[in-house]
Amino acid sequence: MKDLKHLIFFENLLQDAQNELVTQAIEEGNVALGYNCFYIPEVLLNLKGCFSTRLRAPRCTSTDVATYYMTGRTCPYVRSILERAIEGGYNYLGALFGAESCAAMERMEEHFYLLNPVKNDKFFVTIIDPPMKGDQTNLDYYKQQLTCKVVEPMAKAYGVDTSDAAMRAAIEKHNELCEVITEIGNFRKLANPPITGYEFHVIQLVSQVCPHDLILPYLKETLEELKTREPEPEFPFRARVVVAGSEIDDPEFTKLIEMCGAMVVADRYCFGSFPSREQIEIQDGETAFDAICRHYLHWNQCARFMDGMKIEQRHTEIKKLVDEFHADGVIYENMKFCEFWSYEKVLASHVLSEEMGVPCCTIEKEYALGSVGQLRTRFQAFVESLEIKKINA
Amino acid sequence: MNMKLVAKILGKVSLFGFIGFVATFTLYMFNLENKLIYYVIRPLLNKHYDAQVRDKRIV
Amino acid sequence: MKNPIVELIDSKLQKFDPIWQAENGVGGQRSRYYDKTGVAKYREWRGVHDTMVDYGAWLKNVLSMVQMVGSAPVACLKGFWEYRWMGSYLGTFMFIDRLFEGFRGDELKVAHLNMHAIVQSLTKKIALVLANDKRLGGGPLSDKIVPMDEVLPPLFMAGFPDLIPIPLQTLPEFIICDVDQHIEPYYIDVAESFGLPADVCSRCAAETGVAMDDAFPIFGKAMISTNMPCNASEATSMFQRRRIALPDFPATMAMIHNEPGAHPYSAQVLKDCIAFIEKEYGVEYNWDALFARAKHMNEQNQIELEKWDYMKTPYCSLCGIAETLYRLYAWASVNGQEDYFTKTDRKVIKIMRKSYEKKYEPFGGKTRHRAFLWGPSAVYYTDFPTWIQNCWGINIVLNMDSTMGHNMISTDDPEQAIQDLALFSEKGVMRHHAVGGWDNVNAIWEWAKNFNCDMVLFNDNIACKGMLGVHAVMEEQARELGFYFIFIEHDLEDCRTVSRQDMRNCVNQYMSVVLNEKPLDPTIVEFDDSQAY
Repeated sequence: MKDLKHLIFFENLLQDAQNELVTQAIEEGNVALGYNCFYIPEVLLNLKGCFSTRLRAPRCTSTDVATYYMTGRTCPYVRSILERAIEGGYNYLGALFGAESCAAMERMEEHFYLLNPVKNDKFFVTIIDPPMKGDQTNLDYYKQQLTCKVVEPMAKAYGVDTSDAAMRAAIEKHNELCEVITEIGNFRKLANPPITGYEFHVIQLVSQVCPHDLILPYLKETLEELKTREPEPEFPFRARVVVAGSEIDDPEFTKLIEMCGAMVVADRYCFGSFPSREQIEIQDGETAFDAICRHYLHWNQCARFMDGMKIEQRHTEIKKLVDEFHADGVIYENMKFCEFWSYEKVLASHVLSEEMGVPCCTIEKEYALGSVGQLRTRFQAFVESLEIKKINA
Repeated sequence: MNMKLVAKILGKVSLFGFIGFVATFTLYMFNLENKLIYYVIRPLLNKHYDAQVRDKRIV
Repeated sequence: MKNPIVELIDSKLQKFDPIWQAENGVGGQRSRYYDKTGVAKYREWRGVHDTMVDYGAWLKNVLSMVQMVGSAPVACLKGFWEYRWMGSYLGTFMFIDRLFEGFRGDELKVAHLNMHAIVQSLTKKIALVLANDKRLGGGPLSDKIVPMDEVLPPLFMAGFPDLIPIPLQTLPEFIICDVDQHIEPYYIDVAESFGLPADVCSRCAAETGVAMDDAFPIFGKAMISTNMPCNASEATSMFQRRRIALPDFPATMAMIHNEPGAHPYSAQVLKDCIAFIEKEYGVEYNWDALFARAKHMNEQNQIELEKWDYMKTPYCSLCGIAETLYRLYAWASVNGQEDYFTKTDRKVIKIMRKSYEKKYEPFGGKTRHRAFLWGPSAVYYTDFPTWIQNCWGINIVLNMDSTMGHNMISTDDPEQAIQDLALFSEKGVMRHHAVGGWDNVNAIWEWAKNFNCDMVLFNDNIACKGMLGVHAVMEEQARELGFYFIFIEHDLEDCRTVSRQDMRNCVNQYMSVVLNEKPLDPTIVEFDDSQAY
């Protein structure tokens, strides 16, 4: 296939947290608001005068200092973020809106105010206590937490307009971006898509780490390009897979899977588009803020949720993706030392394979792509098994 | 007569009490119950547990 | 005035007293053990008086066991036959012996009062559970029992006087790991055989293994799970709810629980939970019944606070594991629902007052350091505080879990009561200070100072992400504040990763290399108890 016009540009944007678009937005007077997790509604951080930037630590292969603080037995993602912060990689941030999504995440976010690694006088950190169920009590608590730890601090520290009208405007822009990403992603449903999983992963990531206003024109151009892009004469992969699980913000991981013969047709993981690119609907009589909270609580697929409805939702959503994107199987991933996804991976792979008849391959990974040989072997074996299953069917 | 009976009963109770004390104190002091459990009962039970077929699965 | 016969016997048999042996360099606590097994050739000779105290306590505990079997003989036998974890309860006497090695005088008396409270309660619970276990045939109370997550304090359930809340995991997983270090590795292996990674918290891995092994007793019509204390606990409930296959209600208390905004939420969760039980069990909540039990819990907590005053001094006869285990069981499992514990507390506080008045120093006054134990302790090494006192003279005056919910609960206003219960429940086991934000963990220094401790022992659960995440900052603080600080590595319920001897070595190395001190009893510096319960 012909290279996408902006792919190299997008890849370059992902090489640093403070990429050129982030720098440009700050120079234009906008405040960069960092976050790690879907529990923090991206749309709230894109009110006028500020922009969201989901934190990654690109090219972080060594976390010596963070390991000293947090030991080597904690999530490598949080250690990499802390390491990058200590190195000075996040000095552009105006705030970090954290979430107690897990103990490791919370401890990392606490180190942001214990060690004060972000050299910005106005920088502050808040940590919400996210909901664990999808019921009304938890929705009310979620609203309370977001109000006092996200909305009010933004308004107080940076004078951000957090009125209903401002939020409605932010929702509109957010939906516009989501529509573009979703349309791009839908190409993966085709029998011979004009986009690879890797390319989509890059696109999805830049939409999360770059200021939306500045990246959107490029994304729109890319969408138009894809509408007329000629795919390979024949579908170049041997299988189609959904990748599910915990944190993946390195597109090289997707590239590795695809080099082993499986196209990643849907991305149900943290930093993936499922969830994150669903459009927010404001129901009649609802405030914009209420709609945001309801939306994010409903779509959240975090393994932290422990009520039956949300647990089942995690499994049915993956099955839905398998069906919609015509996947042959699921690669279920968890970050090493991630307690939630370690458990969820065991249960989900059982439910998917035994109850829903979806072949599943489970793997564990580090933050920086390591043990490539082992992963490659696992993926290749999985692809072969999917091929054999197709042949036998 | 009643006094004799009471004394007899008391005597028997004291005797049994003393024998009971000696027996239980011996058991206690020489740790006999734990030795029996550790060397005899638990190994037998463990054999049974190891041979059990359980409904081992993710439901 | 001492009895001359007793004095004579004491002088003749003194050579069997391990403390005397250690003082005179002719042996010590370990001399009477068979190697590796933890089986003692004979019980500890403590002098006539204290040996009789220990013997009397042993008899009482035996009686409780007999009563347990006597109250449900068939069910108990079936239970032993069916459940691997039941077999491990046979190690209870060895467990108690280990806990109170080296205890004498007032501290021995108090320790046994507390221990018997646990034994009599636990044996009754076991009998009740087995007699009504549907797997073993069920009983009249099978549908009156409410299986609850062990970490959710059951006090609020006292408002359902016809229902019996039972902590589901306590019997097969928690208490039993105290008794037998080898039981939970079996269940952990079961969980890992299904793909669960080995780096997750071993307590929750064990619970998951019990679920997968189908080793939970079966009772009840609906269950209450919880997110307490932490992530792994939330996660394991996914497997347990499927195995138990009852309607379930996750009582998700606030994680960042030390903020004002958390309590209204937690209070609402408790209200929702009560509504769930009302619906599932067809009963109505009775506030008067709750208030009656809350009065007991309030009294227990008031006594606890008085105990703390004595613990701040060298003249406290409640120390080490006698305090820790009792507080843990009394708070987490009983939680105000049994009068026996209030009565025990009243007896114990009387003794403690007397001990203080006569300036009685426990352990023969040999304590060299006063330590605060912070973080979740290793369940497989419950007698660690006993060892550390006997070997190095470090008296663990209090531990983190003893600081659990000690606020008073309203006994006349339902709305206030539920708010109080929410605050009370949030400060649960392995939770009050281990989760909920940095300030909670960092509170240790204030606690240690208030309890006149010169040492902080940091339970370093190698799989606890919350505590691992604060490693260096804690160590740096200790240095700044001038506390002796030891990381005690452990793997909570898996004794294979970090053995008891490995844990002892953490202390041994610090005490000999950093503090250059000599052990009080060289026979217990290094010994092999790998095959002990």
